[in-house]
Order: sequence, then structure tokens, then C-alpha cells
Amino acid sequence: MDKLFPTQEIGSLAKPSWRVKGYRGEPLAKEDIAEALSWGRKLGIANLDTFTEVLHGKDSARRRKAMLEWSAKYAIKFLESAGLDVVFDGEQWRSEMYEHVVRNVDGFEFLGLIKSFDFRYFNKAACTRKPKYLRPFYVEEFAFTRDNAKNEVKVPFTGSYTIVDWTFNEYYEKRLRGKVADFKQRKFEAKRGFVFDLIKAVVRPEIGKLVDGGAKWIQIDEPAATTDQTDDEMKLFVESFNETVKGFNCTFSLHNCYSNYEVLAKHACELHDCSQLALEFANRDSKQLGTGSVRLGYKELASFEENGFKGNYGIGVIDVHTDFVESPQLVRDRVLHAVKIIDNPERIYVSTDCGLRTRTWETSYRKLKNMILGAELARRAF
Amino acid sequence: MSMIGCYATGIFPRPKELISITRDYERGRTGEAELDKAFSDATSRVIEVQSSAGFSYVTDGMLRWQDPLRPLAENLNGVKIGGLARWFNNNTFYRKPVVTGELSWKQGAGSKIVDVEHLPKDLPWKAILPAPYTLAQLSEGNFYKDKIELALKYAKILREQIESLVKQGFKYIQLSDPALVYRPRAGRISRNEVNIASEALKLAVGGVSVRTCLQTFFGDFCQILPEALDFPVDDLGIDLYETDLDRLKGYKFGKGVALGLVDSRRSLVENDGELVAVAKEILKSIESDGVGAFFVCPNCDLELLPWKRALEKVEVVSRVAKCLREEFDG
Repeated sequence: MDKLFPTQEIGSLAKPSWRVKGYRGEPLAKEDIAEALSWGRKLGIANLDTFTEVLHGKDSARRRKAMLEWSAKYAIKFLESAGLDVVFDGEQWRSEMYEHVVRNVDGFEFLGLIKSFDFRYFNKAACTRKPKYLRPFYVEEFAFTRDNAKNEVKVPFTGSYTIVDWTFNEYYEKRLRGKVADFKQRKFEAKRGFVFDLIKAVVRPEIGKLVDGGAKWIQIDEPAATTDQTDDEMKLFVESFNETVKGFNCTFSLHNCYSNYEVLAKHACELHDCSQLALEFANRDSKQLGTGSVRLGYKELASFEENGFKGNYGIGVIDVHTDFVESPQLVRDRVLHAVKIIDNPERIYVSTDCGLRTRTWETSYRKLKNMILGAELARRAF
Repeated sequence: MSMIGCYATGIFPRPKELISITRDYERGRTGEAELDKAFSDATSRVIEVQSSAGFSYVTDGMLRWQDPLRPLAENLNGVKIGGLARWFNNNTFYRKPVVTGELSWKQGAGSKIVDVEHLPKDLPWKAILPAPYTLAQLSEGNFYKDKIELALKYAKILREQIESLVKQGFKYIQLSDPALVYRPRAGRISRNEVNIASEALKLAVGGVSVRTCLQTFFGDFCQILPEALDFPVDDLGIDLYETDLDRLKGYKFGKGVALGLVDSRRSLVENDGELVAVAKEILKSIESDGVGAFFVCPNCDLELLPWKRALEKVEVVSRVAKCLREEFDG
């Protein structure tokens, strides 16, 4: 990109209540409709009359599809009108980053809910057969975004290593029963088999279709990259990324968050064709203004440089887990601090830490606006 | 050989109905009383599962525990509840205890840790608490000089609770110590650290009048050998899915072992025959004249599995123990 500090979101935005209820076929309350129209006017969405009819319409397969399209249209406009250079559709077509993929691939069965923490749970699947490609799961969403976005598009893509890490691995472990005696070794070999089969059967075919459809930039989301920190596991993660992106005429980047960056940094330079590492930092940082020692949250950025990573960085300057709205000055200082570490402003993109899906649209908008103002303030220093 | 038993080693998953009520509660759709009743009902069910499976000791299932450290973090003066952190290499999370003052128990803490009311009168009871070393490693805050002082302080605090549990009739106390063996990159734990853990154990359970166990998981037990053989506990718990089994076989134990033969982190239900064979091989090689007991158990908290699969694994524990009993005790 020509300008310094291009701005980007990482992926998800909250789903508006009209999108959630409408897609489920539940009746919309007056407030849901009012909210939809109010944001529609605020964002300057075209053909609001048509959308009003959809909102008041009866549930049908067609209306459900329309709900996805309208919420994607809203999200794209939301991100563009906030001023982001690189956009997507806020992942409005996806139920959630893991479930969306698993539900669209053959070989997985959901086993039930597991406690994540407190009264929060997640639905965990098991791989019970060799994964098989059933149907495209990102392609249609991408095509819609491509046709509706004015700005550059980046497609978030849940990585194979994370899907495998979040799934019980029954099929591959069963196959090794009696062949590998050591339990620990068996578990690892089974994981390896699962990762590479998933890449071959599902991930690469989907990427191929996205690239054929005109995708220029795909962001591989791997929040689980450093869950297991042994050398063997980290090597497996690196191999999985390299195998995923190999040979495609497309730009690839990696997103990771809430992880051990010291470990990731040691292996980041082994990633092939990884044009950008988009990382969460704001969550670890202080809210004080300034550069230098006050920027506690960014200290591990140096490790990536020391370990020889040559690509760009997506620097998380917005904490997605709090309603605190970062000021443009705080964003500016975080960016300028990163420049001091990287020593080349051209390698820095300005990002949110992660997807904004846990924040309201009001809060997200204010945060993004300030992020863009902060990036502009940082540009003035050059 | 005097005893081959079986038991649970941690938090049970919440049954589907209970999950549904906890979600309703969080969304303000149901009240405290309904939530409490759902927990009580599910606790009775989990106890029934264990007694039907013929477990040697039964726990209350720890269903109310929001994470493996929370009942302590919430019921100690001097501790604040901190941010979310990953529970070792799992996709589940705990809230960090932040130590900001002198540690002491809040009033009525005991009843928040164990649910004695639902435990059956005719079976021996087991209580499970985090070990002092793990508590210190996973805590933040600098009120105490260092992790050593903090571990020893936690040990003294745990001792008070353990004495009280013994008075209430608990016959088995397990301390869970994953931090002692989970070392994905740091290499083998230093002997100094092992000695600190041992000192802390002495303060927490040394000389306690009921059976005690140090349960390790998520890492290779061999790295704390041979020192662990002198730990002041009756039984040592081993995660067989993380431990180098060949190295383990080089030691003579001279104390009880809790074999984590069933993996709470995999949904695939184990093959009984394979587990019996592995157990026999290990037991024969580490056995010496002084061995008192073997327990078959899950390697860690069953809550890492969905409810139904956890029940199937409880059955495996039960069947494998029965099979071994027949083999060894004839």
C-alpha cells in the first residue's frame, strides 16, 4: 500500500439482533427494526425501502439469505465509513470461526458442550472420519464482499492447526491403535495426520476457489498456534501454514492473539510467504500516553525482529475486550512505539487486537474511528 | 498387593440440563434458587455415577467450581480475581488469583469448596484441592517475597482446610499439581523447584491421618523422579498420556500410584484390553515390596470432555480396575 500505516480490522463484528433473529426465523421486535433502520441511515445504506420490506417480511429461505446479505452489506459499509483501508464483511455469514467450517466439512460430529470458563461453554466436535470437502464455505461470502466493497478486501480464514487443536481426534487416533505403543507419540502422530489431511482435502481446495474468484489477500487465523509450545508442535504449526499457502498466487498473512509471543517469535521466520503477522498487543498494554517504557504491552514485538522475521506487522492498538475507547493520541503513541522497535514504518499496519464481535456496533465504531485518527496522527510524524 | 481401586481425579463436566440453567441464569432468565437446585440435582447425579461404577472413594464432582482454582481465589482474604488465562495447553480458561495481602480463609469457606450434604454416608469420601506449588505458580501479585514464600504460605492455608475436611469425615485428600510437570519448553524442572514443592507438601499434608495423593498431569512425571518417591503423600498420580512410560519403568515406587490411564482430553473411548496390558506392565515393573495401593483413574479433570463421553470414560475406569483386581488379587 502507498500510504504509511494502512488500517485494517481482523475479522468479526457483532451480529445485529435483526441478523441473528432474522436468520433463525424468529420474529423481529420493533426495536430490532428501529436499530436496523437507524444504522442504515447513519451508514448511508442504499435501498433502505427494500430492506424495510425484508425486515417486515415472513420467514423463508430467501429471507434468511437476504438477512446475511444485508448484514454483510451493513458491515462492509460500517468498516469503510469508519475509514478502514482493508475490509471484509465482519464475518456476518459465519456462525463462529470454528463451527462455521466444521459444519460445512464431512467427517466431523459435534459431541456436546464443554466449559470454557464460568458459565461459558463451547460446542466441541470430534473428527470421526477422514475430512472430506462438501461445499464451499467462504467463497460465496467473499464474492459478495468483493462485489460490495470499495476498499481492499482481506479474507479471514480459520487455519487448519486451530481447527485440529479444537477438535477431538478420534479417527486418526483409532487408526494408530496397536501401531504406536507410546500414548504421547500416538497422540502427536494422529494430530499430524489430521492436520495434513485437512489441508489437502479441505483447506487448499477452498483457498483455490477463493483465489480463482479473485481473492488477493487471505489472512490465516490461528489463535491456537502456541497452545502447545513444544518444538515438535511449533514445527507442526509452521509446516501446516507453509503447506496451506504453498504455490497460490495470493498474499497470505497470519493472525494470532492472546498467546505466548516469545514462542511464536522463535518460529515466525520459518513461515513461508507470510506477508504480515497481525498480533494482539493493546490488551497487554498500559493506557498511558507516550512511547518507550510505558508501552509494556509491545515488548515482545522486539522478539520477532531479533528472531529475523522480515514481513510486515499488523499492530493491535485497540483492545477488543473492553469498552474503553482508545484516544487517537494513545493509538498514535502505540504506533510510534512500534516504529521505534521495527525501525521501518513501511512494515506497519494498524489493527484491532482481534475481531470486535464482543463489542456493540456503537463502541466498535468509536474505537475504529479513533484508530483511524490515531494512524493519521502517526503519519504526520513522517 | 493389598488394594486396586479407582476414583475420579478432578472436576466432572456439567450435565446438559445444568448447562442450560447456568446459561439461563447468566442471561437473567432464571434465579439463584433454581440455579442452586440444578447444581444440587446434578451433584447427586454425579455421585450416583461414581457409586454405581464402584469407585473406591467418591467426590462431590466439583460442579460448582468455575475453574480449578476459583473456590480458593474466591474464599481467601488477600486474593483478588484477576484476568482470564489459558489453563495450560487446553482451550479452557481460569481466572488468575492475584495475591494482594496476607492470606487467610474467609468465614464459611469450607462449604464453598466441598458439598458434603450430598455425599453418601456409606462410601468413603475424597476431596480434591490444587497443590500449593501450582497455586503459587499460577498466581500473580507481589505481596509475598517470591514464589517460594507464596507456595509455603498456600501450603499452610491448605493445611487448615485439609484438617477441617478430615474432621468432616473425608478419607482421601488429593492435591493436583499440573504446574510441577508441565514444562513444554523449559526442559526438566530444577531439583531446587522439586524440593520447594516437597517442602510445601510437607506443610500441607505431612502427617495427615487420612490417605493422601499428589496428582500430576499435563506433563511427564519422570522429571520429578526420584525425589517424588520421598514426597510426604501415600500415592503419586501419573498422567500416562504425557509420561515416558519406558523411563517410568526404571523406578521402584514403594508407595501407592494413581495411574491416569483414561485420557480426559480425548473423546475416543479407550480399549479396556490395551489399558489393562499397559497397567500390568507398569505395575509389575514399578512394584516393590512396600507397594500399598494402585488406583485406576482419569489423567485429569473429566470436565474437558462433554458429559456423555465422560460417563463412558467412568465406565472404562471401573471395568479396567475390576479386570486388574481379578488379575492381581485373583
